[in-house]
Amino acid sequence: VDEARGRRPLRRGGGHLYAGIRWTGALAFAAVAIALVVALVWQAAPALNHSGLGFIFDGTWSPDQDKFGAGIFIIDTLITVGLALLIAVPIGIGTAVALSELLPRRLAAPLSACIDLLAAVPSIVVGLWGLLVLVPLFQRHVGGFMAKVPLLGHFFGGPSLGTGLFIASVVLAVMILPTIVSLTRTAFNAVPIVDREAALALGGTRWQVVRRAVIPGGRTGIEAAVTLAMGRALGEAIAVSLVVGGGVTLPHSLLANGTTLGSAIVNDFSGAAGIQRSAVIGLVLVLFAFTAVANIGGQYFLRRRATAHTRRRFRQSAPVSAGAAA
Amino acid sequence: MSGTLATTASGILSPEAVAARRDVVRQSSRQTLARRRLHGKVIQAACGVALLIALVPVVTLLAYTVSRGIGGLSVAFFTLFLMERRGKLAATVRFVADVMTGIPSIAIGAFAYALIVVPSHSASGISGSFALAVLMLPIIIRANEVAMRTVPADLIDAGVALGVRRSRVMRSVVLRGALPGIVTGNLLAVARAVGETAPLIFTVLGGTLLMATNPLHPMAAMPLTILNDGTQPQSSVQTIAWATAFVLLAFVLVLSIVGRAVANRLTRHAR
Repeated sequence: VDEARGRRPLRRGGGHLYAGIRWTGALAFAAVAIALVVALVWQAAPALNHSGLGFIFDGTWSPDQDKFGAGIFIIDTLITVGLALLIAVPIGIGTAVALSELLPRRLAAPLSACIDLLAAVPSIVVGLWGLLVLVPLFQRHVGGFMAKVPLLGHFFGGPSLGTGLFIASVVLAVMILPTIVSLTRTAFNAVPIVDREAALALGGTRWQVVRRAVIPGGRTGIEAAVTLAMGRALGEAIAVSLVVGGGVTLPHSLLANGTTLGSAIVNDFSGAAGIQRSAVIGLVLVLFAFTAVANIGGQYFLRRRATAHTRRRFRQSAPVSAGAAA
Repeated sequence: MSGTLATTASGILSPEAVAARRDVVRQSSRQTLARRRLHGKVIQAACGVALLIALVPVVTLLAYTVSRGIGGLSVAFFTLFLMERRGKLAATVRFVADVMTGIPSIAIGAFAYALIVVPSHSASGISGSFALAVLMLPIIIRANEVAMRTVPADLIDAGVALGVRRSRVMRSVVLRGALPGIVTGNLLAVARAVGETAPLIFTVLGGTLLMATNPLHPMAAMPLTILNDGTQPQSSVQTIAWATAFVLLAFVLVLSIVGRAVANRLTRHAR
């Protein structure tokens, strides 16, 4: 601030260069974003023309016969991402509650730091671990076990191959868990202490404090975390392609092999040429559209909530931290 | 008496706290204290279990990577000449909204492929750099934006009120205040990009373990080595994958830790 006071006479001019720099930066970034979409559409156009709407709705993907229908890939993607969220969200929120409310600070601080670091673990490393450690484990034990669980067992029919949709979901869940935990924890920490004290002072148990004060306060943060995690899970390709197995028929069980959009791109890209390569870029475009819809939808939802929130309570809750988001 | 309490409470506390209060009172009239305590304990135990479930896979993951990786390091040492060349488009673009944060990395790889690899008829290190730069861009922008928002508005207002040029305010007040966040954000973005595999399949190609120094030709990269070697059946080759994974993981973790440490230091200095 001292420096800002300056010894030179105050001037109004000189802002043009600065504005120029700002606008150049903004326009360059916008240009990159637009170029991205244009380049993808341009590369995918031959295949999209070839298959029309069938590219999305048709279930046959057979490059040898020049048939390109991504229907099965889309279904498998939705199954794995949905199941991954189903596994990771409750565990993630529970962990965040434990870290921010239940554990003593001495224990919670290092654990939180660890989980923040784990968010940075490259997905290929998770994939390698899934392929070489989890797949044999699932083949021998987990698949058979899940088939015996009452109710859930219906979803786990057929032979236990090790690879498949279920293990892909588990790997995805492991991958997005640190993101969910660290964003949710940040949001919980931002809930004013007064809210907790009020609930405590009225004789609430620890859980009631969490349930009635902390979770509602951190709600926006939780939703942001889930949106972000969903985006990451949708776009994840490599780790999933290592464990999902590569089936191209409609999955009859969670133990069946499948192919998600991402893993189809990884598998089919190398060695493809001409219209096949164009079809793979078409898959990229579909994946891109999915993540874009998920993100824009999520952000719209969050923003609407946030404004309603502010109007109602004259104070915004739970800012999401930058470090955790990155 | 509870009425007076409520009025004072709503004066001081947030509406949320009041709502919490109302719920607690409503509940306690229905349930005995013992039952509520039991309920609380059960849920707490569930949270603890969730924590364990969350920690177990990641810890085994780390343990596996570290143990297997160290074992293979002697073998892998000679094949691993660190090999990546990165473009960084960071500091210039800071003032744009986050449009692209959710784009899957593989889409960015395909973009770089269409834009650079197709016209030049060859996979190249440069196109990989371009893909990673595009990938990092929204992360960096987003992190920096949030970092700048943490600069107190009073400081900025003070600068503007003194009639200082906006560029000067930006340089001397906003950038200085946001520096820790910016440093962390950039380091974390680098850490993220280092581990990305998907864009590299389209662009860098990999497949070679020789030292490739010409960025106009296909190059090797750690994630691609892990992908190629990890999918081979021979356990000796898999060992190389583990070792590479270990080096990559160590790199990323060190980068993250340094990033946070630098941020802490700078924050302390700023105060």
